[in-house]
Amino acid sequence: MAENQYLAPDAKLPYCRGCGHAAVVRHLSRALERLQLPPRSIALTTDIGCVGLADSLFPYLHTVHTTHGRSTAFATGMALAEVVLEPGGLKPVVMIGDGGAMIGLLHLVHAAQLNVDITVLLHNNFLFGMTGGQHSALTPLDFATATTPGGNWTPPLDLVALLRAAHAGFLARHLATDAALDATIAEAIAYPGFALVEILELCTAYGTRWNQLTGSKLKEIIARQGYQVGRLEAEAGRPTLRELYRRAPPSRPARAAAPEAEKPMTASPLTAELRLVVAGSAGERVQSAAALFCRAALAAGLYTTQKNDNPVTQGTGFSLAEICLSPRPIEYTGMENPDVVIVASGDGWKELQANGTFARCRPETLLLIDAELEAPPAQGRLLRLELRRAASPSRAALAGLAAWLVLSPFLPDAAWQAALATLSADRRAEPSEALRMGRELRADRTGTNP
Amino acid sequence: MPRRLCSGNRMVAEGALAAGCRFFAGYPITPASEIYEVMMRELPRHGGMALSAPDEISSLCYCVGASLRGLKAMTATSGPGWALMIETLQYALMTETPVVIAVVQRLGPSTGGATQGAQGDVWLTEFATSGGYTIPVFCPSTAAECHDLTVHAFNWSERLRTPVVLLSDKEVGMTTEVVDDAVLATPPAVERADFAGGRPFLTYGFAQPEEVPAFAAVGGEVKVTVTGSAHDQQGRLRKNAPEVIEVLRHLERKIEVHAEEMELARTDLDPGASHLVVSYGITARAARQAVAALRREGVRVSFFQAQTLFPIPRRALDWALAGVENVLVAEENLTGQYRAVLARCLEGKRVVGINRIGGLIAPGEIVQAVRAAEA
Repeated sequence: MAENQYLAPDAKLPYCRGCGHAAVVRHLSRALERLQLPPRSIALTTDIGCVGLADSLFPYLHTVHTTHGRSTAFATGMALAEVVLEPGGLKPVVMIGDGGAMIGLLHLVHAAQLNVDITVLLHNNFLFGMTGGQHSALTPLDFATATTPGGNWTPPLDLVALLRAAHAGFLARHLATDAALDATIAEAIAYPGFALVEILELCTAYGTRWNQLTGSKLKEIIARQGYQVGRLEAEAGRPTLRELYRRAPPSRPARAAAPEAEKPMTASPLTAELRLVVAGSAGERVQSAAALFCRAALAAGLYTTQKNDNPVTQGTGFSLAEICLSPRPIEYTGMENPDVVIVASGDGWKELQANGTFARCRPETLLLIDAELEAPPAQGRLLRLELRRAASPSRAALAGLAAWLVLSPFLPDAAWQAALATLSADRRAEPSEALRMGRELRADRTGTNP
Repeated sequence: MPRRLCSGNRMVAEGALAAGCRFFAGYPITPASEIYEVMMRELPRHGGMALSAPDEISSLCYCVGASLRGLKAMTATSGPGWALMIETLQYALMTETPVVIAVVQRLGPSTGGATQGAQGDVWLTEFATSGGYTIPVFCPSTAAECHDLTVHAFNWSERLRTPVVLLSDKEVGMTTEVVDDAVLATPPAVERADFAGGRPFLTYGFAQPEEVPAFAAVGGEVKVTVTGSAHDQQGRLRKNAPEVIEVLRHLERKIEVHAEEMELARTDLDPGASHLVVSYGITARAARQAVAALRREGVRVSFFQAQTLFPIPRRALDWALAGVENVLVAEENLTGQYRAVLARCLEGKRVVGINRIGGLIAPGEIVQAVRAAEA
C-alpha cells in the first residue's frame, strides 16, 4: 500500500519548526504502513490543541475531531459499538495532549478498565501549546510555563503508572525523536485492547522559550522524574472487551409480570375515586404491600397509581406509598385530601405529620392506625388495630389494607388471588398470611368506629 | 394486548427498545436510574449494548461515539447530570449526530431534591447550546406518553440527525400506573437516511440548507470527516468562510422547516371558551382534571397540552387560541419558564401563570385561577 494511503506525502505539516507533533504524525503513518491496515479501518480521533490539527493530514482515514479532553470517550463509544456490530473491524486511534489527558482523565481510566480496543497517543510536551504555553498536570517540576514563570512547583502526574493501576494491558513511553517509536505505535495499534503510548516532546513555541531545553536536556528531565522509556510493564493476559462483555453474567430473568389480562378478571364495585396513604417503616414491606394491592386493583378492572417515598438512605426511617384508585383513568396523582390513611409504625406516623398528610385529612377520612400509636393530629374516623402485634411488623401494612377492605369491599377475593399469582410460588405465603390476618383483625372489630 | 402496571421510566426504556435503540450508557441519578437499570437488563437481549459509564460526560460521549458508528443511542439523567452533558450535547448538534437524552427532572438548583418533582429544566434543556440552536424537546404526562414520545424522540433525532431531549419528571417517571398497551399510539421506527453512493460523499453535504445530510458511519466504506469545530460541508475546519456560515444556518434551518410536522399536542377545545388552560408534563394531568371540573360547573374553558415543547407547536396553539381571552399556563416551576417562552405567541391575550415549586399543582389551584380570571 502506498504511503499516501496514510500521511499525504505532500502534506504541509501545520506545526512550529522543531515541534514534536510533526515527528509523531510521521511515526504514526509508518506504523500504519507496517501494519498494512486499510485506511477505512482507522478512526483518527483527535482532541483540542495543536494535536488536533492532524485530521487533515490523513486524507483517507476516518477522522473525528472532538472536544477538549473527550477524544478518548468518543473513541470508546465507537469501539463499544464494535462489540455488537458484525463484522466490526474499526480501530480508533486517539491523539491527545497532556492538557486534554488531565481534563479527560477518567475517560482514560475507564477505557483502560474496560480494555476497550483503542490506541491512545499521548503527546506530552509539558504544557498547553495552542493557548499560549500554560502549565498542565504533566508539567515537570521546576519547568517554566506562562502560568508558572518561576518554575512548576507541583509534581507531575505519571499517567502511565496511573493507567497501570487501571489494568491497562499495553503501556509504552518514547521521545518523539526515538527511531523505535513507529514500531511501538504499530504494536500498540495491533494490541487488541486499550494501549497507551506516551510521547515526550518539546514545544518549540513555549517549552524551549522559557527553559534551557535541548534533546539531551529532555532526557535529563525524564531521568529526574524516574521515567522509563520503551515498552513498560502492563497487565498481561487481559481478556478483550468482547470477551469480557460476552462473559458477563446474563441479567437476572425478569420478575414475574404484573397481571396482564385483556379483560379484568373480576369486577370491583368501586364507583368513585379513592385516595389512600400507607405509611410505615423501611424494610417492613410497605411499598410492596401497596404494589400487591395495585395488582389486585388492576385485576379487578380498576385504575391505580402508586407513588412511593422514603428517606434517601432507603434502608432506614419511614417508607410510604400513596395510592389512587378509580374505576376511570386517573389524572391527578397527588394526595390533596386522603380518603384512607393506614399507619403501620411510628416512623410512618412521624412522616405523615411532617409531610402534612395529617393536616389534609377531612372529617370523613378513615385513619386506620396501629394500636400502639397515639391518635394523630388529624380530622377523621380513627380505627385502632393490632397491626404490628397480631400480624407482625413486616405484615402490618398489607394487613392494614386487608382490614380496610373488610369495611369497604372494593377488591373481591379473586382479584387478590390474581395478584398473588403474579408472585413466584415461594413468595406467596407471606402476603397470603398478612391478608388473612388483616381480615381477621377487622372481623374482630367491625362496628367499633370511635 | 394487556393492561399492566408500569412506571413512566420503564415505559421510556420500552419506547427506546421499540424505536430500535441499540446502545445505552448511563450513570446513576434519581429519579432517572430506573431507565438505566431497565436498559442494562433488556438491551443485551435485543442485540444491543448497555454500559455503566464513569460519569455523565462519558455517558453522552459514549452514546455519540456509538451513534457515529451507526447505532441508535440513548442516555438518561436528571438536572445535575444534564448540566455535565451540555458540552457533548453541543458536539452532537454540531456534528449532526443523532442521540436521545431522557432528562427526568427533579427539584433544583444544584443537587436540589433528588426525590422531589419539578418542571424547572425547560430553559436548561432548550437554551443549553452556545449559539442558541433549537433542541427538539418532547414532554410526556403519562406512562403511555413516555413510551410513544420516546419513539418520536428517536425518530426525529434519526431523521434530522440532531440530539433530541425527552423531558420527563420525577412524578411521571417514578409513579406506577395502569398502561393499556392497546391504546398506545406508537409510531413506526424511522431509520436515518444512509448515504447511497452515486456521488462524492460529503459528511455534511446538502444542496439546500434545510436538507439533512445523508449519513455514513465512521468505519464504513466512505471516508467520514467528523468535527465539532465550524466546518464546511466536507467537514473541513474553516474560519469565517461563507460555506461555514451556510452550514451553521443549515443546522437551525433543517429543524425549523419541520417544526409543524413535529407538533404533538393534546387539545380539548370548546369553541365558545374564553379561557385556555395550557400545560405540559405532570401538571397537564391536574389541568385535565381541573378543566373537567370547571365544565361541570358550566364554565367554558379549553385545554392545550404541549407534548412537543420545542419547536413550539405554534400551529396547534394558534388554533386553540382562537376566540380566547385568557390564557392560563400551569407548570411546576417558580418563574413560568414555558409561559415566558410562549409569550411571543400570546400577544393580545391576558396571560396568567399558575406556578408552584416543591409539590404538584393541584386541580383545585387551576380551578381557582380560572374562576378568578372569569370574575
